[in-house]
Amino acid sequence: MSKLYNLSANQVYAGIRARDFTAEEYIFQILERINKVNGKVNALILIDSKGALEKARLVDRKVREDEKRLGALAGIAIGIKDNICTKGLKTTCASKLLEEYVPPYDATAVRRLKDDDAIIIGKLNLDEFAMGSSTEFSSFGPTRNPWNIDCVAGGSSGGSAASVASSECSASLGSDTGGSIRCPASFCSVVGLKPTYGQVSRFGLIPYANSLEQIGPIGKTVSDVVMIMNTIAGADDNDQTIRVTYNTPGYALPSKRKMRIGLVKELTEGADPEISKRIYSAMDLYTSLDCYCEETSINYVEYALASYYTIAMAEASSNLARYDNIRYGFNFSPDGYEWNAYFAKARSNFGDEVKRRIIIGTYILSSAYYGKYYLKAQKVRTMLKRELGLLFKKYDILITPTMPVLPFKIGEKIRDPIKMFMIDIDTVVANLAGIPSISVPAGFSNGLPIGLQIMADEFQEQKLFDAALLFENETYIDRGPEL
Amino acid sequence: MVSRETITYLCGLSKLELTEEEIVKYELQVEEIIRYLDKLDSMTLSNIEPVSAEKRFYQLREDIAQSFEYDPFGNAKNRKDNFVKGPRII
Repeated sequence: MSKLYNLSANQVYAGIRARDFTAEEYIFQILERINKVNGKVNALILIDSKGALEKARLVDRKVREDEKRLGALAGIAIGIKDNICTKGLKTTCASKLLEEYVPPYDATAVRRLKDDDAIIIGKLNLDEFAMGSSTEFSSFGPTRNPWNIDCVAGGSSGGSAASVASSECSASLGSDTGGSIRCPASFCSVVGLKPTYGQVSRFGLIPYANSLEQIGPIGKTVSDVVMIMNTIAGADDNDQTIRVTYNTPGYALPSKRKMRIGLVKELTEGADPEISKRIYSAMDLYTSLDCYCEETSINYVEYALASYYTIAMAEASSNLARYDNIRYGFNFSPDGYEWNAYFAKARSNFGDEVKRRIIIGTYILSSAYYGKYYLKAQKVRTMLKRELGLLFKKYDILITPTMPVLPFKIGEKIRDPIKMFMIDIDTVVANLAGIPSISVPAGFSNGLPIGLQIMADEFQEQKLFDAALLFENETYIDRGPEL
Repeated sequence: MVSRETITYLCGLSKLELTEEEIVKYELQVEEIIRYLDKLDSMTLSNIEPVSAEKRFYQLREDIAQSFEYDPFGNAKNRKDNFVKGPRII
């Protein structure tokens, strides 16, 4: 019974059902593992040992007494990004402004996990309010890349990816506004899915840019991601942007088909040569597996980043207006302050990146500039959607690198916001168009992970899973970072 | 040009108190980022509709009040008797 913490979510589930080990034994090992490596990686910012053990014992009791009642994720240790509300567990968004916030309710996605008997192991580090691509903008300090602790883990769901890569949990939830699940999944060599906009309820996700973001799973394998997705996706009266017409999506594994694949030329050629080479090899691999592959282009990609940042910052400035430190906030007495002065003083405790985005968002939304930026950005979005709609008539999936660069050194880009923005070029397209996208491990360069991004038309998650699994079956190496 | 006055005006609108050092830094960075976003202005998109929400107002669920079991002010830090304390208005 060695190293239970290394098991994939599917293996944990099978092991507990088969009574190879108990949920409690597994959770003990997970907690030991966290104890050993979290100091180095800084992925978890809150560990709920007590809650996890209680739930593990409950799962074990069900195994003994009434196996039929076991949920679809029974016993699996899952970490939750700390911008997703967990009832009774602090949810800070890695921000001073929410350092004491204890949600009185669960996000729908979390409630669904609990209902399926998953074990919530703790809360995961992120860029403050999910704004960033490296998890360096966290009030808890950066999450480190398990493959090289001098490098960033990616962001903003850096904790969600690093915790899975370092086996501190078997799977996690992240949120993806412009690549925040896929970027760290790529940097940490795990699988990360941004679902179609409207597939997973955003109720209980603390908002940053509502029209772009989705909650999604991160796992060690494609089938783990499918397993979690089957639980979290579906209708919810508390989110009026949900567009599913059925209750359980029931994604299947595998359903091999000969696929038509387009490699997006400008995004692949624009990446580091090592990465670009790897994506062309992926195309060769798919060709050898009887898929029809060719290079293609997305013309509006040139405007995608400007459109994305315009919309994201505008929505951020509007969403973050609610933080007045009165209804929730940190300990700071209003005595002696005038209304506006108090708000401004309290809000000066936002971190650097959040303040920058609020200021720019406010500029973009001011009446003189609304038509020049926000309206134009929303029109670019229409054009991009149209263009992708046509491409998906021709191809089942599109492939690109997930990230155009390898994980970089901590501190390397933090002082240059534009440089940091640029690395999101490959991922923002899916958020603007609302389509699903997955990042799967595609090997290493100098010991640092590379990710392959696969995009499909909206609601075509099944095609993503088929393509990702086809790739994984041919390339999977059971290898973990040395920590 | 994004001037010092623009930054302080935007901070007033968004209720942010900045240090002198931050004002100087953001003046440069905001200018640089806005110039990048200007890319959008190079396109003619006059006949294009911007994206909008798919659901119309009448398609939203009924607006029925729900009861919550928790104290809505449980997270408020500054309380006195049964009230939440805020800064003075005037």
